[in-house]
Order: sequence, then structure tokens, then C-alpha cells
Amino acid sequence: MNTLSILVVDDDPVIRRLLEQRLKKAHYDVDVAEDGYQAEKLLQQRRFDIVLTDLMMPGGIGGIEVLEIAKEIDQRTEVILITAHSSVDSAVEAMKKGAVDYLEKPINFDELFLRLEKIINVKSLLRNARDIHEAMDATEHAASETIQNLEIMAAKLQQRLDMVENELRAEGVDPETRINKALDILAGI
Amino acid sequence: MIKIKPNEIKSVAQYIYDISGIFLDSNKTYLFETRLSTVAEELGCSTFSELYAKARSDSSKNIERKIIDAISTNETLFFRDKGPFELLQHKLLPEIIDARTAKSSGLKSSIKIWSAASSTGQELYSIAIVIKELISDLSRFNFKLLGTDISDNAIAQASYGKYNKFEIERGLPKAQLQRYFTPAGEFWKIKDEIRAMVNFRKLNLMAPFGGLGKFDIIFCRNVAIYFTLEDRKKLFNKLADSLADDGFLVIGSTESLTGVSPRFVPKRHLRSIFYQKK
Repeated sequence: MNTLSILVVDDDPVIRRLLEQRLKKAHYDVDVAEDGYQAEKLLQQRRFDIVLTDLMMPGGIGGIEVLEIAKEIDQRTEVILITAHSSVDSAVEAMKKGAVDYLEKPINFDELFLRLEKIINVKSLLRNARDIHEAMDATEHAASETIQNLEIMAAKLQQRLDMVENELRAEGVDPETRINKALDILAGI
Repeated sequence: MIKIKPNEIKSVAQYIYDISGIFLDSNKTYLFETRLSTVAEELGCSTFSELYAKARSDSSKNIERKIIDAISTNETLFFRDKGPFELLQHKLLPEIIDARTAKSSGLKSSIKIWSAASSTGQELYSIAIVIKELISDLSRFNFKLLGTDISDNAIAQASYGKYNKFEIERGLPKAQLQRYFTPAGEFWKIKDEIRAMVNFRKLNLMAPFGGLGKFDIIFCRNVAIYFTLEDRKKLFNKLADSLADDGFLVIGSTESLTGVSPRFVPKRHLRSIFYQKK
């Protein structure tokens, strides 16, 4: 069972349909956009774990722009670019801009599913690490409250004990007065 | 992963203590195994005794450095635990600035801050960001921000100021990320204006602090927990010597100086505690 949500962006209706069907069959939660504008609209409407976008699309918003929009909206969204063999250089450029991977056309579905599984693994590790960090933060927070209260209390007690010591050591005062003064300080604790 | 044998624990633990001051008791064998196995394997050792022997006979100390890098904990964040940085912004810095400006009689006041276990630099850069945001005209003061750590790798990474997105994601608000960092692929690099405010150098807190001088504010968080009580006493005694009489010490939020140092008194400000000399 895959709970990953994927946005497929491709202007070619055949590829778009094919990707949608194969991913849905593998139980991914899939949405499609036929160009960059529609992709932008969808990205603003809901969160996607992965955006699978064609690099070259007609209109002002190509794959690189989709990548930038997706990352701007949510850093955690991973973007995979689909490229023609001839545009591998631009795919590498896209990876420098934060794309997680690229696939060459024609799409090899075994390869695509392997990449997706890799992303799932990394995401679950991250999720796990985040949960552990959150649990650690909560524990640390509770512990620090206790420790800090004890720290202040210990310092106050030490201060009182120093006063008691001073009273008991006071010179030129008779023992009973010294003891009574010390007891008064102790009674105030 | 290489398993540590019961008869190896004592000598390896003693060796790690000698080179780093980090005290690992025998119930922390998992730390030897998880952190030192890769070093051992990299050097072709199949046991910890072998690694120990190799490290001892290595006059270049390269193996020693690798072991220190592996054993020291580098879990740290920008603004890890908001408390100390709010404390710095609202209480410690304003007080120190007032005190130093009153004394300086027109000269630029010098304010020295030390991150005593700076790891990969996040704490010191967070301090620098707080200062940058608090003080509109930095040229009025002579800020000296020093970060020290025992690990060469940590110092190198801190000096470079480059962090991966996971190191940066937690703790650092997006606005500050964009203001003080430049994206570099999967990484973010601290901007020169912040980088130029700080200095890093290697220091083992167990060794003498020779030449560091006195600081106005010292951050020494979450490092003494790896030391024995005796070593903690020595460390905080040395820190008291290195702190100005009206200076401030900040320790980890779950650490305590009760029974460790009689020279400091705890004081509360909002949800945090700081220490001053008695």
C-alpha cells in the first residue's frame, strides 16, 4: 500500500494517461496536470509528496519552473524530471536546483518504481528521525523544567545554610541567641 | 559491525578518555561499536584491540583525529532549544552592552562570546544572527565570537558554514534561512556577513585554556554530560576563571551545576536559567 501522493505533469496526453494508469495501479494517489499552469494551480491547492514533470512543455512554465514552484510551496515535495535523451544537461541543471532525480524518455516503468521506492524509504527514515527528535525534545523540555526548579531550589537552600553557618559562628553572641537565630533562618525555609 | 570484547572495553575506554576527556562506561559499548566500527574497518582492523594498537603507534595522530571525530556527538541545531537564544537577546546581551558601554568612555567596547563546544557551528552562528538582529550598528562594538571544539571535522565544517537541508530544516525559521544563507544545490551556505563575525579553532576542554582570555558570555551546552563528575568540576572551575566577573554562563537546559561548581549561582529569566559568578 502506497500512501505517497504524486502529481504528474506532461503535455503529451498519451504519456500522461499512461503514467496515471500505471501509478494508480501501483496504488499511488495520483493527480495530473496537462501543463505548468495547471500544475501550479494544483500545487497551490494541495500538498504532493512527489511531482513527476516533463522538462519541456509549451507555454511559459516548463519543468524547471514547476520544480521551482513546488519547492517554493513546500521544500519537502520531491521533484523528478522526465527528459528526452538530448536534454540530459538541463536535467543535471535541474538537480542542482533541487530535483531529486530525472528519468529519460521513453520511460522505463521498472526504473520509475525503483526510484519511487527509494524516495519512500528516505521519506520514512526522515519521518522516523523527526518523530524521534520530537520525542527527544518533549522529554528534554520536561526534564529541563524539573532540573531548573531543583537547581534554583538547591541554590536557595545553600544560601540559607550559609546564613545559618554565619549565625552559628557569630562572635561575641551567646550560644543560645546564636542557636535561636539559626533556628529562625531554618524555620523560614 | 565489529563487536567489542569485554576484555577490550577498559583499555579502549581509557584511550578515548585520554585523547578526548569523553568518559564511556562499560554500559555504553554500543557507542564504541556504532561509532568506531567504521574507523576500524577503514583501517583494516578486525578488532578494537587492533585499532587501539594502530592508533597508539601512529605518530601522525591521524587515527586519533579520526577516532575523536567519530566518537564526539555532533547532534546540534540552529537555535537548538529556543530558550538560551531568547535569554541572550532579551537579557544577557542588553546587560553586557550596557555594562561595557558605561565602562568604555567613548572607545569601542569589546564584547567576547565563546561557544565552548561549538560542534559544526550552528550555536555560534545562531548567536551571531541574534547579535546581527539586535544591534543595528555593529560598528559601534568590537564583537569577538569564538567557537571551539575537539573534532577537526566539526571545526572544518563550522568554518566552511555549509549545511545540508536536514541540518538546517529543524530549528531555523524560513525567513532567517533566506536572509542569512545562500542556497547551493542540496546545501545552504552561511552568508559572508555572518561568517565574518565568527572564528573557530580546535580545543580540548580537558586541556589548559591558555591565551583565550576572559569572556563576557560563555555557552557550554551539552558537552560536560560526557565527562566524569571530577572532570566536570575541573571544567567549570576553569570556565569560572575564563569568565568576566559580571559575565554570564549558559549551560544545557537539562544540565545542573549543583555539586559541580560552588563558584556559580543560578539565576532565572523567563523560562531559562543562566549562571553568574558568586
